[in-house]
Amino acid sequence: MKIISTIIALIVLVGFAIAWTTATFHPTPLRFVVPKGWPQPLYDFKNNPLTVEGFTLGKTLFYDGRLSKDGNFSCASCHQQFAAFATYEHNLSHGYNNSLTERNAPALQNLAWQKEFMWDGGINHLDVQPIAPITNEHEMAETLENVVNKLKNDTSYQRLFRSAFGDATINTQRIMKALSQFMLMMVSSNSKYDKVMRGEASFILPEQLGYNIFKMKCASCHKEPFFTDFSYRDIGMPMDEVLKDEGRKKITRLKSDSLKFRVPSLRNVAVTDPYGHDGRFFSLMNVFEHYRKNMQPDENTDSLLQHKLPLSNFEIGQLTAFLRTLTDTSFLTNTGFAPPGYSLVPPQTHLH
Amino acid sequence: MRRYSIQILHTCIVLLTVYHVHAQQHSIVIQFHPKVGAQQLQLFTEAYSNSNGEPFTVNRFRFYVSHIVLIDEHRQEQTFSNDYFLVDAADTASQKIMLPTSFKKIHAIRFTVGVDSLRNVSGVQTGALDPMNGMFWTWNTGYVFAKLEGQSDSSHMAAHTFSYHVGGYKPGENATRVVVLKTNTDNDSIDITVDELKWFGGKHLISIQQYPVCHQPGSLAMQLADNIAGSFSIENHP
Ligand code: HEC
Ligand code: HEC
Repeated sequence: MKIISTIIALIVLVGFAIAWTTATFHPTPLRFVVPKGWPQPLYDFKNNPLTVEGFTLGKTLFYDGRLSKDGNFSCASCHQQFAAFATYEHNLSHGYNNSLTERNAPALQNLAWQKEFMWDGGINHLDVQPIAPITNEHEMAETLENVVNKLKNDTSYQRLFRSAFGDATINTQRIMKALSQFMLMMVSSNSKYDKVMRGEASFILPEQLGYNIFKMKCASCHKEPFFTDFSYRDIGMPMDEVLKDEGRKKITRLKSDSLKFRVPSLRNVAVTDPYGHDGRFFSLMNVFEHYRKNMQPDENTDSLLQHKLPLSNFEIGQLTAFLRTLTDTSFLTNTGFAPPGYSLVPPQTHLH
Repeated sequence: MRRYSIQILHTCIVLLTVYHVHAQQHSIVIQFHPKVGAQQLQLFTEAYSNSNGEPFTVNRFRFYVSHIVLIDEHRQEQTFSNDYFLVDAADTASQKIMLPTSFKKIHAIRFTVGVDSLRNVSGVQTGALDPMNGMFWTWNTGYVFAKLEGQSDSSHMAAHTFSYHVGGYKPGENATRVVVLKTNTDNDSIDITVDELKWFGGKHLISIQQYPVCHQPGSLAMQLADNIAGSFSIENHP
């Protein structure tokens, strides 16, 4: 009888212990909304459930220069909100020790639907992406070990990690998952184009004409609703002599992938200049001139572009009007993505 | 009341079974011995010569072991599918793997050198697989399964370094290799020799002069992987 009561007491105790530990960790779930008509995201949220606390930690990390060797280069130094998280007016971005990145920083948006990352698709999961810029000597030039140690020595981070993950353990995995939570929320789906599609607004004539031309001449690669089909293609941009970037071939080692780069999304394209994988196009006009005149088709150039892409001046005007409708001001100015403690990112804080 | 007694009885039985199984469990130690030929590997200081007659020293030597399977004399298998180990020549503690088993006699051991494709594609891992351990390609996602770095006068690279980072999980470039070794010991430890010379002269002849660097998946990585698979053997006890 005594044994039985001991066992009952033990079971009750264990029950209390479990209830107590689960009761102390109650993060606030963050809802991820799939815009109407869009496919389901590819990111597996089950392995990294979004929470307000995780997002806040991710945001703090994204804006923290201490993730870099000299403290100067946060993720946000190259990914600026007012430029849809691309680098504003830079063909290549500035990194540690006066170095430059080897490619143009793309906009960060709708990442939950992306299967592969970078211009060459070399990175296969959003959660491992930040390891590349953190450790790259032309970007943040830091080691993961140092990052973890710097954060561990900061009591405010201990607090942030505890509220996001239940205890104060700080490791690579948690840093990356928090950064992902912040970046996954960067959904841009509220441009004028989206409103027109939802029947909440209508195009003015040049925009409508531009949309028609776009669907005919551009949408086979820049596919709606992401304005990219996420494929890798060669649009006849000769290799830069200095950068010698072979694009997708670097990953697959296939000659047939030489000079292929991921079709970039055109959402917010009006604010992500310069353009192209190495930022060689200064303006949209330069891009149009490339498509209709300057391109140099090589053996891998897309079959759709074998005879270049004829565009009249009139068409360019209409296309430009349409591309402007892809600017999502509510995304560019959403204070939820602004640095902790600021309401807006002032363009003047940008590093030169 | 009767329902409760049955429940309590049930709990007791479960507890007893757990205790019983536990009592039979013991630890088996798998000990890796990095060697060059017959000699124990000395990092940095010792100069060796490979089967091509090329001199070399070793600065770094690491590899992943995973999916360990213990096989007893009745061909029963015990699988440790979620355990990943990073064995490092510079860290003696890492060369010793302890696993709980109830097998009395172990007839053979099977393990994978490298990291399965699932762990290469499912985001950021932790523990032995923490990318912080430096066995991770950041620009072309994937684990480096095994690493051998050193210096050799035969290398035409700066500072005469040679550097082999072997990995690759995609079809057509898979560099994981399964190793099966028959054990011949009755005791609680399995001693495994890892012979670095086999990297250069196993199934394939790899010369430092011709190939001082392997930093990506592909055919060279797969050839090195074949050689690595052949570098493991059960330590001969005198
Ligand atoms: C020095 C500038 C710089 C810094 C700092 C930087 N990035 Fe980037 N980022 C880039 C460039 C350039 C690319 C494109 C690289 C490529 O394609 O090879 C990029 C690409 C990305 C991508 C892939 C986007 C896509 O569509 O494929 C993500 C995600 C990203 N960065 C997030 C981050 C995060 C998170 C941090 C901070 C840990 C960070 N970046 C820090 C310049 C930077
Ligand atoms: C055959 C596929 C294809 C077609 C058709 C195509 N594009 Fe592109 N586009 C691409 C690829 C690939 C890139 C990236 C090239 C690079 O940088 O290497 C690109 C880049 C761009 C960029 C630069 C975006 C940035 O952020 O850097 C703009 C703007 C653009 N395209 C607009 C258009 C327009 C407008 C049309 C129709 C007139 C069009 N494209 C037709 C594949 C295509």
